[in-house]
Amino acid sequence: MQLALSGILITFRHFRRLPFFTAYICLNVAQGLFLFAIFQYYGTSSHTAMLAGWWSEAITLLARLFATAEILHLVLIPYRGIWGLAWRVIAVTSMAMFIFVVAASRGNAGLALMHAERGYNLIFATALISCLALIRYYSIRVENVYKALLVGFCFYSCVKILLSTVLYDFLYRPHSQFASLWQILSVVPYLLVLLFWSAALAHPLPEKREQQSVLPSSVYQLISPEINLQLLAINKRLMNFFKIEEEPQQ
Amino acid sequence: MNYSAAVFASIGLLLLLAIAWLAFSESRRSTKVIRNGRGEREGLHISHLPQIKQALANVDFMYLRERGHTALANRIRKERRRIALGYLACLRVEFERLLHFARMIAAMSPHVAVAQEAQGLRLNLEFSYRYYLIYFRLVSGIAPLEAIGNLSDMVSALTVRMQTAMSELGEQAVLGAELLPHNGSGLDAGG
Repeated sequence: MQLALSGILITFRHFRRLPFFTAYICLNVAQGLFLFAIFQYYGTSSHTAMLAGWWSEAITLLARLFATAEILHLVLIPYRGIWGLAWRVIAVTSMAMFIFVVAASRGNAGLALMHAERGYNLIFATALISCLALIRYYSIRVENVYKALLVGFCFYSCVKILLSTVLYDFLYRPHSQFASLWQILSVVPYLLVLLFWSAALAHPLPEKREQQSVLPSSVYQLISPEINLQLLAINKRLMNFFKIEEEPQQ
Repeated sequence: MNYSAAVFASIGLLLLLAIAWLAFSESRRSTKVIRNGRGEREGLHISHLPQIKQALANVDFMYLRERGHTALANRIRKERRRIALGYLACLRVEFERLLHFARMIAAMSPHVAVAQEAQGLRLNLEFSYRYYLIYFRLVSGIAPLEAIGNLSDMVSALTVRMQTAMSELGEQAVLGAELLPHNGSGLDAGG
């Protein structure tokens, strides 16, 4: 499935517009081949295999971050102001979630790597959802193909959070086949996401949109505080709605 | 399952629901709100304010009660409540229109101030809270009639202010957009 998606990315020349996303998919293919070779040589339960597994996972997670940033940039590049705001929202959300993850995962040194991956997915999904909420708040149009890619990333991260939390806590002790179950349950959603992405990318990408920042900064600086003052006035009126005697007549 | 796992699982589920909502729900704000511009704004409740104000006058209600027309007075009271609710809905439309305008300006601006946008979001949340609070008080009949009567003054004053402000702001925005190609700074104006 990953190879098919790589083929689509190359055939439609999407790699030109989505170089990091293409790199992410290629890295996933490479990771699969690399781990297959490692497991064949060292066995699945060796320390080397475990290290190789986690390191390769860390690299693909990093690649996912760049791929997501690339898509968000493509969506928001026509809106420079919102792009600047989105970065701040992502930074603040990520920081807040990082503190939460560190606080919530303390005292489990043996599960540090698993918790780190879960924490990463949590931070990633929260930041991405915050950014998507921001995009919706400003009624910014997102092309279906980019929407599909972002939703796919977010869906997979959420599934991984649930798997690493619920599956581990419920099934790790009672079931000896935990590893196989884990593999199946994490591969199936990923395959679904790959299918979803393939369907979305099997068309030419939409034209690159032009910059929408047609207003000088001064207009925003002038208008935005004024609108907020108006909104504040309405709110104050509403607040005093039932306080008739205090309400000044205008 | 320990407390931490329950929290993570709940957050994971919430995030999944959030992404489903963001992915499948339509954008709530239609651009036609602003696109239609002046023509639509002129057709708002502002043109019917004198009649509505008269309909909300407490004097009529008192008069009917003194004359013993209780049933009619009750009917009028219901009508007044309906009018008050209609006014609230209009106020909400006005508020959302202004907010949409602010967002549009922000989206078109090369630089956006976090504090301003955060304040806009906070005011939006505050408005929603107060709007529904008043709405339920009016629906349940807890609101005093005097307050309902007073609503006309409140809405009329606000609507006039908002109409004026929006017109001014719209003109400024258009002026800014028109001036832009001549100042040579293009899209990077201001940074």
